[in-house]
Amino acid sequence: MIDTLKTFGSLAWRNLWRNSRRTFITLIVVSVGLWSILFFNSFMIAWTQASKQATLSVLIGSGQIHAPGYMDDPSIDRLMQPPDAALTKALNAPDITAWATRLQLPGVVVSEYKTLPITIVGVDPALERKVSSIPGKVVKGRYLKDVSDDGIILGLNLAKRLKTGLGRRVILMSQNVEGKLAEQSFDVVGLFDADKNTEDFYAFTGRTAEQAFVGLKNQIAEIVIVTPDTVNVDTTVKNLQAAAPKLDVKSWRKLSLFLAASDTFMQGFIYVWLGVVFALMAIGIVNTQLMTVFERTQEFGLLRALGMKSRLVLLLVAMESAVMIGVGVLLGIVMAAATIWWLSSGVDLSAFAAALEMFQGGQVLYLKYQPQAFIQFSILIWLLGIIVALWPARRAAKSNPVDAMRRLT
Amino acid sequence: MAVDKVMNVIRRKLAFGLVALVMGLGTQTGVAQAQDAASILKLAFDNWRADSSFARVQMTIKRATGTRNLTMESWTQGSDKALVRFVKPARDAGNATLQLGSQTYVFNPKLNQVIKLPASALSQSWMGSDFSYEDLSRSEKIITDYTHKLLSTKSVGGKKVYVIESTPIKGKPIVWGKQIVSVRSDGVLVSIAYYDQVGKRVRIMSADKISTIGGRPYPTVMTMRRDGKPGLFTRITTLSAKFDLAIPKYIFTRSNLQNPRN
Repeated sequence: MIDTLKTFGSLAWRNLWRNSRRTFITLIVVSVGLWSILFFNSFMIAWTQASKQATLSVLIGSGQIHAPGYMDDPSIDRLMQPPDAALTKALNAPDITAWATRLQLPGVVVSEYKTLPITIVGVDPALERKVSSIPGKVVKGRYLKDVSDDGIILGLNLAKRLKTGLGRRVILMSQNVEGKLAEQSFDVVGLFDADKNTEDFYAFTGRTAEQAFVGLKNQIAEIVIVTPDTVNVDTTVKNLQAAAPKLDVKSWRKLSLFLAASDTFMQGFIYVWLGVVFALMAIGIVNTQLMTVFERTQEFGLLRALGMKSRLVLLLVAMESAVMIGVGVLLGIVMAAATIWWLSSGVDLSAFAAALEMFQGGQVLYLKYQPQAFIQFSILIWLLGIIVALWPARRAAKSNPVDAMRRLT
Repeated sequence: MAVDKVMNVIRRKLAFGLVALVMGLGTQTGVAQAQDAASILKLAFDNWRADSSFARVQMTIKRATGTRNLTMESWTQGSDKALVRFVKPARDAGNATLQLGSQTYVFNPKLNQVIKLPASALSQSWMGSDFSYEDLSRSEKIITDYTHKLLSTKSVGGKKVYVIESTPIKGKPIVWGKQIVSVRSDGVLVSIAYYDQVGKRVRIMSADKISTIGGRPYPTVMTMRRDGKPGLFTRITTLSAKFDLAIPKYIFTRSNLQNPRN
């Protein structure tokens, strides 16, 4: 048995090189097919990850804590105290990268020309830099210096609509603790460039400056947390909820239902898309395999006429395919790995920034190896290649050797 | 629908502010003695605050889409009580706004309900109009929150007119870069021009006609025009007015807002 296999092994190997052009074509088809599946899988995952990350990092974070009812009515009556000892301890847990407190209140901004509704966000700039991408998006002027900075950061588009600019003052109005209208003049110290929605609806100032503005002592509206990708955010939410049972802890999936839905959709979409790519590649591989086996009908007839059992003919074909497709698959894996490695330092899409802004996409994609996909798709392609070759080979092997040699089958 | 409602509400509110402003500026006594800018303005506005008034006023709003005429009646008492009720056109008749101190109530006859306006609703600008609630309800702030400088005095139609530049005091919640106010020596407002923070004029309210009404000189036609929107304006025409009259207390009540007794 071992001897037979050895003989067949060398026979199969020689057969492969007997027609090197055919082998070469099959190798290319298989490797390019697998490469495209693996590469696009990685690319799509990086893309969805980057868009999700880009959106979350603006304001939402991985999760938020509010006073009960704040989500339904984000008003000054639904605030909470800064985190107590138990909650602070939970927030400083190793699975939370960073957290920050914010005072977010609805209000209006008034310029000489316009009055527009906005959300006034009081932040702690040092903490905010760790949880939000807004500080890095200030394109004119500066970001807030500290928690008591009473300057204001407006979105570029909002400043344009208000016909105001850097160094000018705007009036903010909001309901104060007594339920009356508080108003105060704020100097525009910086302008940020984000997506239009964020630019139009959020203005940032120091947290204690905003607390003083509306007459609050130290109440806050929310705590935003950031967790790494590797951490299951639901577990973090559970831990925080346990530490602060009276507060409302929510993960980003609950905070932004749209984003959660589109995330789920994108994951499904990747599989549909990969299915299509896989089908196309499979057709290419099947076609090549069918061709190569049908071409050799005469040869199989001859082998049968010389007394080889049809089972052994099939084994020969299976071994040939296993080796050839195997090499192709390995080549494809190496190519995909090389491409991903080459792009892993980041694909800079900033040249298309304007177009991408519409999708709130990330501008730099970081491709990662997807080991599961590498194994799954490689084995699938390999098995498919072998099975597909066996079918015509079976027909040739089962047919009458004379007919096969005369190419009648 | 909801937007319409809010806009209507703001329109009523606005109308009220306008009336208060115009009434106030008319009810003056001589300020000719005052020499420095601050006291010229202070005297004019001090006189306005103390008075009571009743007036019939027409408001004309010219917008790109057409012209709209509204007639209203207004009662004011001091600076913190006012009632404005629309009488024409039929569509708007019965709508009324009552202001008691810092609280504002709006009555809508179609809903047959009194709504207390949240402060934030008042702060929104009235779309398409040349006025916003902002500059109307707190006109008296021009005394306390600004520094004043007498730019020049000129003579218009035999009357002395003071041209005063008012610049907001740093830190006060005022969005204008400056305002240039012209006041006649008898206390009648001639014009207020609003400038943005880089010195460009944004809009100007001017007295188109000053005549005697209710026994005193009064800017009977006042128009607000916005720079950069030629041909569009909002005009306040005072049809008749009485000053320093005794107004019964029930006028400024919520029940009178809903069920007019007059």
